[in-house]
Amino acid sequence: MSFQEQLYKVLIEGDSYRTILSGLLVTLQITAVSLLFGTLLGAGVCFLCTRKNKAVSVIAGVYIAVLRGTPVLMLLLLLYYGVFARAGFAPVVVAIMTFSLNLSAHVAELLRASAQAIDTGQVEAARTLGLGRRDAFRLVALPQILRIAKPVYQSLIVNLIQWTSVVGYISITDLTRVINNTAARTMQPFLTITVGMLLYLGLSYLVYGIFALIDRRKGVRHAAD
Amino acid sequence: MPLIEVKGLCKSFGERVVLEDVNLEVSDGERIAIIGESGCGKSVFLRCLELLTVPDRGQILIDGQEITAKGADVDRIRRSMGMVYQKFHLFSHMNVMDNLCLAPVRLLGMTREAAEEKAMDLLSQVGLSTRANDFPEVLSGGQQQRIAICRSLMMDPKVLLFDEPTSALDPTMVGEVLAVIRMLSKRHLAMLIVTHEMSFARELADRVLFFAEHGIYEQGPPAEVFEHPKRAKTVAFIQKIKYFSFEITSRKFDLMKMQGGLLVFGEKYGMRHKRIGRLQLCCEELVYEMMAQCYAPEEPVSMQLAVSYAEADGRCEIELTCSGKEYNPFAQEEDELGVTILKKMAARLEYTYDGRSRISILL
Repeated sequence: MSFQEQLYKVLIEGDSYRTILSGLLVTLQITAVSLLFGTLLGAGVCFLCTRKNKAVSVIAGVYIAVLRGTPVLMLLLLLYYGVFARAGFAPVVVAIMTFSLNLSAHVAELLRASAQAIDTGQVEAARTLGLGRRDAFRLVALPQILRIAKPVYQSLIVNLIQWTSVVGYISITDLTRVINNTAARTMQPFLTITVGMLLYLGLSYLVYGIFALIDRRKGVRHAAD
Repeated sequence: MPLIEVKGLCKSFGERVVLEDVNLEVSDGERIAIIGESGCGKSVFLRCLELLTVPDRGQILIDGQEITAKGADVDRIRRSMGMVYQKFHLFSHMNVMDNLCLAPVRLLGMTREAAEEKAMDLLSQVGLSTRANDFPEVLSGGQQQRIAICRSLMMDPKVLLFDEPTSALDPTMVGEVLAVIRMLSKRHLAMLIVTHEMSFARELADRVLFFAEHGIYEQGPPAEVFEHPKRAKTVAFIQKIKYFSFEITSRKFDLMKMQGGLLVFGEKYGMRHKRIGRLQLCCEELVYEMMAQCYAPEEPVSMQLAVSYAEADGRCEIELTCSGKEYNPFAQEEDELGVTILKKMAARLEYTYDGRSRISILL
């Protein structure tokens, strides 16, 4: 069989590309929603983590340690077959919960570390000028925390995309599952899986591209100042 | 009414007492220099005024408003004070202009245009009007500090607090920052400057506070504090007096160790070698003379040698106390060779006895 024929079989025959695209969409959905909730939740956990109240900060610390220290697949299985076994949630919902929780721990830790890395003297300087606690945080600390956190956040997103490939375990037909099925159906595993990997690679570079674009826009604004 | 009034200020960190019952009044436009050893609480005192460090006890009134009161509007009271830090702390994600305009636009309701105009005026006064669009990271330490001063001035404070403004700078940049502070002294603006630049403190200040023993240990006009300090620790600090001590408990004491110690001491503080040699010789002669005369052959020996050296004017003083019988080596009919040497080298010799012999020699 020639390469063209193989390609036809894998991508076109029986609207195969549509199946693959729908899998890609599921992957994107889970990633995007988890990213949103995970980031918000992570910021919340980080906030709790830096409270003076010992109990609160210890609980937040344990939350971060447990979620960062265990495989996300385990959490997925625990939630699907254990915690929510009788709740009747759709698998996608459980997947989103899982990845939101997991990402939130990573985001919380990232923000905590970034917050420690900034020059607290600048916040004090803002306070002595008369700015309130909130203003000093929002105008001086936060922009710097985000700037420090950005490169790691970017790779957290890429990791998240890749980690969603395990949702097939709870019968979600995501990109990985679709690729796997297609490979079995067409009996062209090498080509099919290569296509799948290229799609994941494309997604990762899309993320890097978006960040680079944001950077460039900011750069333009700086130059215009 | 004084501009700043501090009453009974106390601050400890755990077991360590830093400030104890500090009282101070600063009048409008007064310039105060705060000096003292590192770790004596000068910076903590300054930080307490801004309530960056919360005192354990005591009251601080700024322009009549008590910043330490419960429910005080701290942010508003802080507007009338500016603080300049050792490490500048310019906002590193903003350019110079944004650094200067942030607070006045947000807090004083100034328009951006008015703020920029004021900022440019201040920047040109410190010779940095071309740097308005630069980010702090590309500026030298001296430039950053001058801009940090401008940033404080944007709020039109009544008092500026300087926390060692030149300590983090290269020696080449100290001058430019001091020049700006000097320039400010022409405005009607109170200043409290924690500094190690003694000549600057002396030239600029109306009053000098020397911090030691958890508070203001001595204060007065600069001429008085620097030229005629009254209390022992102030004298030691102003004269930069360094100490060396050595204990002798046996006739067979380690002479080489004593001499070595004196050599290291002298070299460390930059005494000339000839002078170190004389110091060593005097100590040796003195110790052996007293050992021979004050003690019976088998009697236990107890002598303490203390040498003080003032870095500021080079005064070097030897003090020896020893037990044993009373014996004034300088009042004998015929001098031993050692005593002759001592008499030749010393500018002043003194002997007192109060149960122990006490000899002091000014080299």
